[in-house]
Formats: sequence, structure tokens, C-alpha cells
Amino acid sequence: MTAPALPTVEVSPVSWGRRLIEKFNGPVGSIGVTLVATLVIGLAMAGPMFVSPSNINIVGVSVAVPLIVAVMASFALLAGVVDLSIGSMVGFGAVIFNQLVAIGMNAWLVAAITIVVGVLVGLINALVIVGYGAEPLAVTLGMLTLLRGLSHVIVVNAPPSTLIEPLYDVTQGSIGGFPTLLLIGVGVTLIAAGVVSKTRIGRKIQAVGGDDRAATRAGISASKVRVTALVLSSVGAAIGGILYVGQLGSASNSLGFGLEFQIYAALMIGGYSITRGGVGNPIGGLLGLLVVAGITNILNIQFFDPDYLDVIVAVILLVAVLLDRVRGGDSFE
Amino acid sequence: MQTSPVRTADGSASGRQDGSFVTDARDRTGLRDTLSILGVWLLLIIATTVVRPDFLSTQTLLAVTFTMSISGILAVAQALVVISGGLLDLSLPVSLTLSAWATVTALNNDLPTWAAIFIGILSGAAWGALNGLIVVFGKLNPIIVTLAMGFGGLAVLLLLFLSAQIPSDSDLRRFGLGRFLGLPNVFWPMVIVIVVAGLALSFTRWGRRLKAVGGNPQAARTRGISLPKTRFFVFVGAGAVAGLAGLCFAAVNPSFTPASGADFQLNVIAAVILAGISLSGGKGNLLLLLLSVGFLSTIPTSIAFFGLAPGWSLVLQGALLILAVGIDGYRLKRSAR
Repeated sequence: MTAPALPTVEVSPVSWGRRLIEKFNGPVGSIGVTLVATLVIGLAMAGPMFVSPSNINIVGVSVAVPLIVAVMASFALLAGVVDLSIGSMVGFGAVIFNQLVAIGMNAWLVAAITIVVGVLVGLINALVIVGYGAEPLAVTLGMLTLLRGLSHVIVVNAPPSTLIEPLYDVTQGSIGGFPTLLLIGVGVTLIAAGVVSKTRIGRKIQAVGGDDRAATRAGISASKVRVTALVLSSVGAAIGGILYVGQLGSASNSLGFGLEFQIYAALMIGGYSITRGGVGNPIGGLLGLLVVAGITNILNIQFFDPDYLDVIVAVILLVAVLLDRVRGGDSFE
Repeated sequence: MQTSPVRTADGSASGRQDGSFVTDARDRTGLRDTLSILGVWLLLIIATTVVRPDFLSTQTLLAVTFTMSISGILAVAQALVVISGGLLDLSLPVSLTLSAWATVTALNNDLPTWAAIFIGILSGAAWGALNGLIVVFGKLNPIIVTLAMGFGGLAVLLLLFLSAQIPSDSDLRRFGLGRFLGLPNVFWPMVIVIVVAGLALSFTRWGRRLKAVGGNPQAARTRGISLPKTRFFVFVGAGAVAGLAGLCFAAVNPSFTPASGADFQLNVIAAVILAGISLSGGKGNLLLLLLSVGFLSTIPTSIAFFGLAPGWSLVLQGALLILAVGIDGYRLKRSAR
């Protein structure tokens, strides 16, 4: 930790070991190491079957929709606002989409309606958080409750089943041996990573999340950036809901329950912080989700009680935030 | 004894506003908050009564006070964490369920009631202590720590047991079924907890320290209050109070699962925020907390009387929470100008 303070003293021969360590010192580096460790443990415990194409497909399909939701939600984290309502929004989006398609409306129109609902929810969150300066955690917790309630109001008993051809092709199809949905998810992640690290918009979001006063002084409208980020997060969840309908063929009123915890745990493992903005990269989020999905898969293959997953994820999450803190993240006293 | 002169000296040193002025403004918003929650609560009761005159009955009173009792105790635990600047304890449901399970297990093994009660509260406190240790030694944000401990803890509970039953002939179960002064027995521990915690917050050195740490940690530290120690004991205390909630929970439910405790989480946080206990810490009025718990606990019964689907009570609670924090944020913004 003293290294950056005394750069001149340590100039002389830097051992390659040290350089290697520094490579892994970044958040994405350490999550990469975790992922490799997961792979090695998976190979050791499950054998070559762990990396067989069919198993990788299973992991890929399970990770795809949460990935898209997570990448879109990560914009809000980056801008320094937490959106806890994404899990309920996934469920609510899926419920509206499924119900309206089931009564015979055009699927494209219904998809548009669902996305508009996502925009509206994001705007309401943004109005209260940015407009009235309310605590994001509290507001989106309220939205989480409200949307879950609406899903329960709309779907009381068994939800109808729907089959939408073009959507089914996306969620169940594959291109060149890879699940289409996973390819879309990875594509979205790469685009988001490009936006965050290479474009002005990305730098603006990071600036606002890192220090909103400094960003405002530099002429960036912090409110505009945060409103956009909240809308993106909510729209991402609405799209996730639509994709889940394609995957599951239906939408119960408990769909997406607790998804926000899984997603934020994965994002934090991947280097994001829910208490300060401006840190993290979508690639890290992808790796974080893959670690969680990989562990789930190991437990499934080995017929372990799936409850161990949450215990393991909780421990990894705590270690990840501890590492981030040691690396210079905010410490809490 | 020497706290008060040191405190004023420090207050002026840190350049804060004149103490009496701040308290005055706070008292006034406190009164306004009290009146507004009371007003909305009355409005809800009147509206339900107009639609369904049979709403005003002993049955309703029993249902509402019953709902209030466990959320109320849990809300005190959450409020202590929030007031002390510990942000939120998202793993309180684990403390509750762990305590309920430990109590029931002790009773099933023929331990005396007092021992079972002791074990229950102790296990709640132990879970809180674990959280506190991680927060203090890791210097980690409590929301993240308790988020991880919340879902990790639930998984641990699921590995421990699938469903637990309280012995039907135990004293604790009889207590859970009984009534005192026409209200459910479990209602009274809640009242006692709120009154004791409320008085302790305002009138003991311990309470003043807790508020000081929440309001301005740096100033509290220069005043010689140990932040890690305070944080740790707040989490232990909150865990113990949640453990007490677990006892009442075990007493009123013939059987429960590890996930039962999770149902309280959002409601309790909503009650705390609705009571004007800001997540930034340092302020909070437990009388107001009692009102907001009462108001939120009336909603499900009212919804049932209106003949609406139970989902609507979630919708209403969520909307109220958004509204409350919106108004609170707006007020803070305006006063800051």
C-alpha cells in the first residue's frame, strides 16, 4: 500500500513476480483469478465433464438473462445510485408481457409496452431520488415492494402459458454451438464495457459516481446522468423479464424474487461497489456472474445441497469487499 | 458525569450550529411527523369503517396488535442500528429465526423455559455479534456485510432445519396464545421494548453515545467515544432484541420454516423510514416508530376488509415508503438551501 507513495525508492529491478501480482491487483484481475480457481475446483471435483460443451451450455443459459439485467443495473451502480427494484421489475415486466400476450395481443406491441413500463418505473425512481434527493436504497426498496405487490395483484393463481415463436428462437436457439441468449448477453456486456471505458458518456457516468460535486463543477449534469442510469437499469430489468418469459414459457408472481441480491452479490464480487459509484467494469460483472454460476454448477453436478451455494457466495462476497477495501476502497468506521 | 461540558465544548469546536436551535427544529418536525402519521392512520381507519362498519371490532384490534407485536420489536432492533449510523442490518431476520429455532429446540429437549428464553436471546445476540465483528474488524460497510450474512445465514438455517414446532404444552406456547388486558400477550413485550429503548436513547449516557456516533462520528471520536466498540455493541444489542422478537415469533406460530423471518424484512425497514429515522443516522423517535408500525400493520387488515387482493397491501406499503422518503428528502433539501 505504500508503493504508490514512494515510487522513486522502488524503481530498481522490479521482480517479474511483483509485476505479475500487480497485474492481478485490479478488481477485474482478482475476479479473473477467482474464476480460474472455480474452474480448477470444478475440474478437480467433477472431472472433464465440467468443461464439456453441454455443461458449458447449461451454465451459459442460466447466466444469460441475469447478465443482461446486471449489466444494465451496473450503470446505476457506476453513477452512484443503487436500484434494488430490479428483481421485482424483472418479475413485473415478465408478468405484464406474459398476461398481455396470453389475451391475444401482438407480441411486439406488448414488448414495447413492457419496455415503456420499464422506462416509467425508472423515471419514478429517478424523480424521487434525483428530484427530491431521497435515499436510493429506501426509494427502490419501496419500488421493489410496490412492483412485487402489483405482480401478486395481476397473477393470483396459476399464470397462463405462452409460446412466442421469434422469442423462443432467441431464448432456446443456438448459433455455432453457443446459446443465442448467451451470445446476446456477452455482446451487451462488451458494448457496455466499451461505453464505460472508451466513450465520453461512460467517463461522465464514472465521474458522477466517483464525485458528483467535482463532476458538476466540470460541467456535467449529475442529475441527467443519474436519471439516465436509473432508466437504463429499469429497462434492462424489463427486457430481462421478457426474456424470462421466452425461457420459461410463463411468468409466476414470484418470478425474479431475490434476483437483485444475487445480481448485486455477483457485481460486487466482480469489483463494483454498492456504496460508492465510479468503480467497476461490466467485464468484472460478467466474471462475477460466471463465478457464481460455476459454483452453482459444481454443487449441482456433485448433488450438494444447493443451500451451500449461498453460504459460499456470502463468503466470497465478504472476501471481495474486504479485498476492495484493502486496495483503497472506502473503509467504514 | 463529565460528558456534558465536554460535549458542548466539542460541539462548538466542530463548528456545528447552536445546539438548542437544532433540537428545537427537530422537535417541531417530530411533532409534525407524529401528527401526519396519526392523521394518515386515522384516515385509513375512517375510510375502512365507512366502507365496512364492522371494521371497528375486537377482531380487528386483535389482528392489528398481533401484527404489530413482532414487527414492532424487530423495528426497534433495526432503528437502533440506523440511529447509530450503522445504516441497516439486513440480517435481522436471521437473528429472529435462529433465536426462534434455538428456543424451540431447547424446549423440545425438555430444558426449563427460562433456559430456553436465555438461549434464544443469546443466539440472536451471537449472530449480531458476528455481524458486528466483521463490520468492525473488516471496516466494511454494514449494508454489504449484513446483506451477505442475510442470505448466507438463511442458507445456514436451511441446512440446520426444515421446519420447527414449538411443544404445544410448553409455557411459552401458552403465553403466545394468551391475552392480557384484552390484547395478545405478545403485544406487551413490544410495548415494553419500545418504551425502554426510547427512554434509554434519550436519557442514558449509552443512548446519547449511540446518537452521537450516528450523528457525527468524527466529533464523537474526538469526544473519546470508541467507534468500533459502539458499533459492535449496537449490532449485539440489535441481535438480542431481534432474538426477543424470535421468542415471541416462536410463541405465536405453531410451526415455522427458516424462511419465515424474511417476511418481516421490508415491512420493518419501511416502518423505520416512515418514522423519519433517517438512514444517515443520529436521529430517531421511537414513539413515532410505534405509530408507523401500527399504521403499517393496519394496512393488511384494511385491505382484507375492502375485499381487495392481499397483493394490494404490498403495493400500498411500497407507495407509502416512496412517498415518505420523497417528502423527507424534499424537506432536507429545502432546509439545506
